[in-house]
Amino acid sequence: MAKENAIIQLENVSKIYGMGEEKVIALDKVNFSVRRNEYLSIMGPSGSGKTTLLDILSTMMKPTSGNVYIEGVNTTKMTNGDLASFRGMKIGFVFQTFHLLPRLTALENVMTPMWINGMPRKEREIRAKELLQSVGLKDRMTHKPNELSGGQKQRVSIARALAMDPPLIVADEPTGNLDTNSGQNVMEILDKLHKQEKRTVILVTHDKNVGKRAEQQIFIRDGRVEDEKKVGKIM
Amino acid sequence: MFSVIDLIEASAKNLSRSKTRTFLTLLGIIIGVSAIVSLISIGGGLTSAVEAQVQRLGSDTIFVIPGAATFGMFKTTITTSDISNMENTSGVMDVVPIYSTSAVMEYEKEKSTISISAVESSKASIFDNVGFFELGEGRRIAANESGAVMIGDRIAHPTFEKEIVLRKQVKINGEDYKVVGILKPANTSFGGGPNSGNMVMMSYEGFKRIANDATPGIVFVKTTSKESVEGAADDIQAYFDDKYGEDSVLVSSSESILGQVNQLLGLITVFVVGIGAISMLVGGIGITNSMVTSVLERTKEIGILKAIGASNELVLSMFMLEAGFIGMVGGIIGIVIGYAFALIVSFAGNASGFALGAAINPQITFGALAFSMLVGMGAGFYPALRAARMDPVNALRYE
Repeated sequence: MAKENAIIQLENVSKIYGMGEEKVIALDKVNFSVRRNEYLSIMGPSGSGKTTLLDILSTMMKPTSGNVYIEGVNTTKMTNGDLASFRGMKIGFVFQTFHLLPRLTALENVMTPMWINGMPRKEREIRAKELLQSVGLKDRMTHKPNELSGGQKQRVSIARALAMDPPLIVADEPTGNLDTNSGQNVMEILDKLHKQEKRTVILVTHDKNVGKRAEQQIFIRDGRVEDEKKVGKIM
Repeated sequence: MFSVIDLIEASAKNLSRSKTRTFLTLLGIIIGVSAIVSLISIGGGLTSAVEAQVQRLGSDTIFVIPGAATFGMFKTTITTSDISNMENTSGVMDVVPIYSTSAVMEYEKEKSTISISAVESSKASIFDNVGFFELGEGRRIAANESGAVMIGDRIAHPTFEKEIVLRKQVKINGEDYKVVGILKPANTSFGGGPNSGNMVMMSYEGFKRIANDATPGIVFVKTTSKESVEGAADDIQAYFDDKYGEDSVLVSSSESILGQVNQLLGLITVFVVGIGAISMLVGGIGITNSMVTSVLERTKEIGILKAIGASNELVLSMFMLEAGFIGMVGGIIGIVIGYAFALIVSFAGNASGFALGAAINPQITFGALAFSMLVGMGAGFYPALRAARMDPVNALRYE
């Protein structure tokens, strides 16, 4: 059953890759939930299963077994088509390698989620401009990704993540490809999303300094959530 | 839901970024559509030209052409007794032999070989009925007037460098004739027959001055009614087959000529439309191929779109629309080229005296456009489905 006030809840989530003898258990009966307005970091070394966990909790991938509830809705029961639209409305993504559409300008990139959801042109342009302004890219709107620095690209992708005003922001190693200054700048924006805008922010990182910024942390190793005490406190 | 206009815009943008590939992909469709459009357009023009001519000839006329069935290799001579026999065939109202020969015409020391047609004065009205010519200036040849000619506009000029005008004397095979009429520029010629622009016409009496043993080149047989055409034609054909052997004389009615022309046209149409269809098929495969490449190249983009909320349906429509776009643009270019080709053929036809209207038909235009779009979308379905079914996680991390 879905917990009240939990924006995300994972229930006995396992993910097994491969078949037969070659089976790799990436996640092993993971249970945890994230409350609304939480600022959480998921940390762990590479190969720990944190990318798989991110893919599953962000509904990009379905678990082999177990359930994933988002705002009380069991997403594992949804069709892929419904899931895409649901994801578009509920989750804003910030990726390590930005994943901007290379042929589109910063403005158009921010407009894309609104385009997908059929927002009228005028409206989405106004909103995209506001968003870019809020991340300090007022002068870079018509630039294409290859004309932007890493930090600027990441700020465009944050603006894009906010396009549909989602309650949940998932950031996957957001500073992984950035220098210290740009990384600092991006982290400040993410902090603000939590503190000022009261969004739920989930950070996935292997960098302790980044992870520390979150109010809560969970550690994952060999497909299991470690440090049950801390997790218990979160739950 | 996403808006269709946005989708179309996105598809157009995606295509314009790989212009060379898009253009090469278009070629198959362009060739197919232009082949089909030009042929249907020329064919339509041809049919209506033939129909108009047949209408003017009247559906009560039979043509008797000696040697036509052997393409003139074995020319049979139609004699006066043949003519009176035809006159006595039941259902026949009038028999009009047309005499023709070639001769040398001289004007102002300039000489040129021309072809002459003649009909007995009493029956001269047949020329009007069959609509071979219209008088431009001057007058017709009077009955029994043996020293007068009417000349086609092209004979007047440019056949003769110094333009022949009314009331001038010309020499034909050494005999003197006066030009009493000049024909209007002709734009029709029947079934590859003589063009009136290149004709010189005189009375039978005048004709006898230069060609004493003249035999008719074609005989028009007017029947009493439309209904008697078939029976009379059969009787006349049987008479000639019996007398000179089969295929020595071609007996044909305007209806049967029209039927033959349509049959031939139908065959050509099937052939070219077949080629067009094969070209469209190959063009379609080209689109599929190009779209598969495009989908593969854009795997990561597809992953991004899916991550940020694009449904399978949106991705499917995006790529199918793109393929449909290729088809449509190919269709538009093909239609333009097809009509341009038809117009060139029509101009060439008109220049050589064959009235050929290449009609721009809205039905064909829209039909071709819709068809090429459908081919494009059909061809794009498989690659679009592949794109739509991509797993977002794998697509996103695809390098």
